[in-house]
Amino acid sequence: MAKQEKALAAQSEVGVAVSTGVGAIPRRRGGVWAEPIQDVVLRVAGVLALVLVWWILSLIFPPTLVPKPMETFGEVAAIITTGDFFYEMGATLRRVLVGFGIAMVVAIPLGIVMGTLRNLESFFEPPVILGLTMPGLIWAVLMIMFFGLTETSAYAAVAITICPMLAISIWQGTKSIDKDLVDMSKAFHAGPWSKVMDVIIPQLISHILAAIRYGLGLAWKVVVVVEMFGFSNGVGYQVVRGFNIFSMKAVLAWAITFLVVMIVIEFGFIGWLERTVTAWRPKIEAWRR
Amino acid sequence: MAYVRVEKAVKYFPREDGTDMLVLDAVSFETKEYGITCLLGPSGCGKSTLLNIITGLEHLEQGRAEIVSNHRDAGKDAPRLGYVFQDPRLLNWKRVENNLIFALKGMGIPRQEWDERIHKYLSLVGLLEFRKQFPLYLSGGMRQRVGLARGLVIEPEVLLMDEPYSKLDHLTARKLREYTLEICARLKQTALLVTHDVEEAAYMGDRTVILSPRPARITDILDNPLPPLERDVDDTRFIQFKKKLLQSVMRLVKEEV
Repeated sequence: MAKQEKALAAQSEVGVAVSTGVGAIPRRRGGVWAEPIQDVVLRVAGVLALVLVWWILSLIFPPTLVPKPMETFGEVAAIITTGDFFYEMGATLRRVLVGFGIAMVVAIPLGIVMGTLRNLESFFEPPVILGLTMPGLIWAVLMIMFFGLTETSAYAAVAITICPMLAISIWQGTKSIDKDLVDMSKAFHAGPWSKVMDVIIPQLISHILAAIRYGLGLAWKVVVVVEMFGFSNGVGYQVVRGFNIFSMKAVLAWAITFLVVMIVIEFGFIGWLERTVTAWRPKIEAWRR
Repeated sequence: MAYVRVEKAVKYFPREDGTDMLVLDAVSFETKEYGITCLLGPSGCGKSTLLNIITGLEHLEQGRAEIVSNHRDAGKDAPRLGYVFQDPRLLNWKRVENNLIFALKGMGIPRQEWDERIHKYLSLVGLLEFRKQFPLYLSGGMRQRVGLARGLVIEPEVLLMDEPYSKLDHLTARKLREYTLEICARLKQTALLVTHDVEEAAYMGDRTVILSPRPARITDILDNPLPPLERDVDDTRFIQFKKKLLQSVMRLVKEEV
């Protein structure tokens, strides 16, 4: 009985929460800036906690296994000030972006075709699912054996690894396309190009953005593997070099710079992209708690 | 000048068990050459099917449906049709003016006419100041008005409206009917309005075609005695005409229910 009452109480609470959420924008305590500041503080605290754990570990293990955080950050500074960073990162970034671009150009039409034409859906489903199952490492090996140690093999390995994932994401998104809008576009005799660019792709935008996020994440992983196989530049190559001289500090320093660049791209570029392409949508901040 | 002519239209839909279901049973009517003609009938009677046939989305088993127009040689080009749907069906990621451009582009209207037309039709629906706004920042009634402007901006021979007010609240719908009636009268626009609402038909229709429940037959075609801009829902002449329509419809519903 008491349990039932509790459940009822919980239910009514949910009801109240929803109704206030949809109704007026709830006023936050402490003014407009309280929440952003609190947000930043929490994020910084999260990062510092990681560094703290690292520091504790560095007290337990010898520096060859776990170098001190400050020394590693010094190494990071050295990488950046000597200019190595920009050269190596540039090479890696180029491989990621070219491979990613190729994958995108293939995956968007492929996903749309699979989502809209039933016959082609059946035809492409097995290769796409197989492609998704294949580990990026194997693609990297295959591409290097095929193209040799060239830029092409890096581009191809990245593109082919992430393409199925992108295609699946867009394919699934295509299934939620509003048929009424497609009918509307037919009623106004929209051409095929306009139908795709004005009606279909905008409806896929959130799926495409999600695909970009996952795709970039996957692309970084593959490109580093490719570079480890004997490329003479790139972040992956630097990590292997650090490994060969057994310098944990070098490996970690490269990993950290790499992470920072990824985070900048994730929060900076993709965040900006998201805000730009979804400007037509009224903000739903009021509903988030 | 253009109008819709439907002659002895017969349409079947295949049932799942392989037999055919009769949807339209020798339906014949003509719309007025100017002004609004309402297709009034209970839900599910085949009004939308009839609309789809007129637009060429579905085919007839017998009879014919055509748009007669002196703007073009019969059967030469496709007729130019404007649509207003039940939902606004706007491209929410495009600004108001770009939603109109989408239709203008699709219908092959020369680019140099776009700006003038957008200006004209957004002014007509009273949304000129919102031309750069995104639809989701507008109210439901305003969005439906954008939909109306989009249907009109291509300057269609016939404007087709499929229950365009049924999802709006009472007051907004009423206001929008006024708007649409006035605009269509001013433009001498031929329009076909599908509705199940007797008062709406009495108010909007210069002519009302009453359809029976399935299979749809024409049971009555009534012309409105009042000109478009003199219809007042409180006027006795309006109420009388509404009663007449209602009686005609109720006769059918009684047989059914």
